[in-house]
Amino acid sequence: MAIPISQMWTVAAYVLKQKLKGRRRYPLVLMLEPLFRCNLACAGCGKIQYPVHILKQNMPPEECFRAVDECGAPIVSIPGGEPLLHPQIHEIVDGLIARKKYIYLCTNALLLKEKLHLFRPSKYLTFSVHLDGQKEHHDFSVCREGGYEIAVEAIREAVRRGFRVTTNTTLFDGADPKSVRAFFDEMMDLGVEGMMLSPGYAYEKAPNQELWLQRERTKKLFRLILSNRKKRWVFNLSPLFMEFLMGLRELSCTPWGMPTYNLFGWQRPCYVQQDGYAESFRELLEETEWERYGPESGNPKCANCMMHSGFEATAVNHTFSGWRGFLDTIRATFSLYPDAQAAEDLERMQPAPHPWELVQIGAGPREKTS
Amino acid sequence: MTGTVQRHASQGVVWRADNEADLREGIEAAFDYRGDVTLLLKDGTRVEGYLFDRRPRPSLEESLVRLIPAGRTEKLVFRYADIAGIEFSGRDMAAGRRWQDWVRRYAEKKAAGETGIRLDPERLD
Repeated sequence: MAIPISQMWTVAAYVLKQKLKGRRRYPLVLMLEPLFRCNLACAGCGKIQYPVHILKQNMPPEECFRAVDECGAPIVSIPGGEPLLHPQIHEIVDGLIARKKYIYLCTNALLLKEKLHLFRPSKYLTFSVHLDGQKEHHDFSVCREGGYEIAVEAIREAVRRGFRVTTNTTLFDGADPKSVRAFFDEMMDLGVEGMMLSPGYAYEKAPNQELWLQRERTKKLFRLILSNRKKRWVFNLSPLFMEFLMGLRELSCTPWGMPTYNLFGWQRPCYVQQDGYAESFRELLEETEWERYGPESGNPKCANCMMHSGFEATAVNHTFSGWRGFLDTIRATFSLYPDAQAAEDLERMQPAPHPWELVQIGAGPREKTS
Repeated sequence: MTGTVQRHASQGVVWRADNEADLREGIEAAFDYRGDVTLLLKDGTRVEGYLFDRRPRPSLEESLVRLIPAGRTEKLVFRYADIAGIEFSGRDMAAGRRWQDWVRRYAEKKAAGETGIRLDPERLD
């Protein structure tokens, strides 16, 4: 199943409306974090490193609705923490469906199968299941052996019951491109609607001389993965953002394109960086010094970032910026990106001996463990 | 500790501001800290909680920190001008949780033949 036409139309109409109104800064996806608590303890995760009294908090549904109404974005992504741990998550989802928002409920799926009865299939609701590659790679990435099998079983059940399901994959430096491509096959076999991808990013690390080299490594990795792609692979990403990941297109960051609201308020400036909180969405937009962020700003914390939360909105904005962007998008949508050099490089590659030689992109020189 | 504090303060550090620059640096360290801190106010009051926001302005009177006390959901606001020091009193929830720490631990366990290797979330009870 592809993305519903109604969703594509809603997003297109929304973006065009913003442009007609002359709005320079507008949100596309609200990242709503109703809790920080999680049932995984992924190493380095900046979202769960809080005192216990903060981890225990759940955002009331009414507060979620106020944020969604205030922001106005047509799509609401609900990451966390693990949203399925929120005791009122189904009420939050129901309230957003009533508002005709397209919801991506991001989950590690450890609880999905047992919580599915709380939800009803809807064109507005998609379960976005976090899977970081094939079994061994995913389990290592989320620091829990056995997690992959639970998630795959939950995906099967959700698809069987008629829910929209996508996968959401974070790739790290050192990922095995052959394994990632095999993972795409596995996911399409499961019947997911589409797949999302993003490079991982350790944004808190100090600057070092390898910053740009690491960004180049990211592009090389995605070029190997996404060139010569199979027709059956369906991605739930802007095709221009995928070109950016492959190094075929430069994009600047749009940090306000996917704003984050959580227990502390509106996070400045973006989903991955915390530089304080605004009390209202208007305050976030008007009082954040946006020129201090993005790779082109010279801010070392942003230098390596290529995450979808910063760049996908830029890609979507380009699509609607004129005929050129529109035609670029159509061409990119149907291209399989034949690349003989990438195919040759891929063929020559030996599988990584151990998945634990992965590092988070931006984390500095690779640290050998053996 | 008195005087200049390292930006990444660790649990147990007690810091008192000697001057405005120290105060501002200490508040930045508290903002970066992933655990509760205790604000030591000039009137002798101690307020413990998670410092999640700071708003530096040119004057200390205009500059604000925001903090959620343990066991409550309200957000308290304090002026920089009223803060005499900060105690990094709560456990640093980021300590030992770097990616590199996991990589090392995983490789060791794997080499020892362990199975079902995992990191578990914080206990909340």
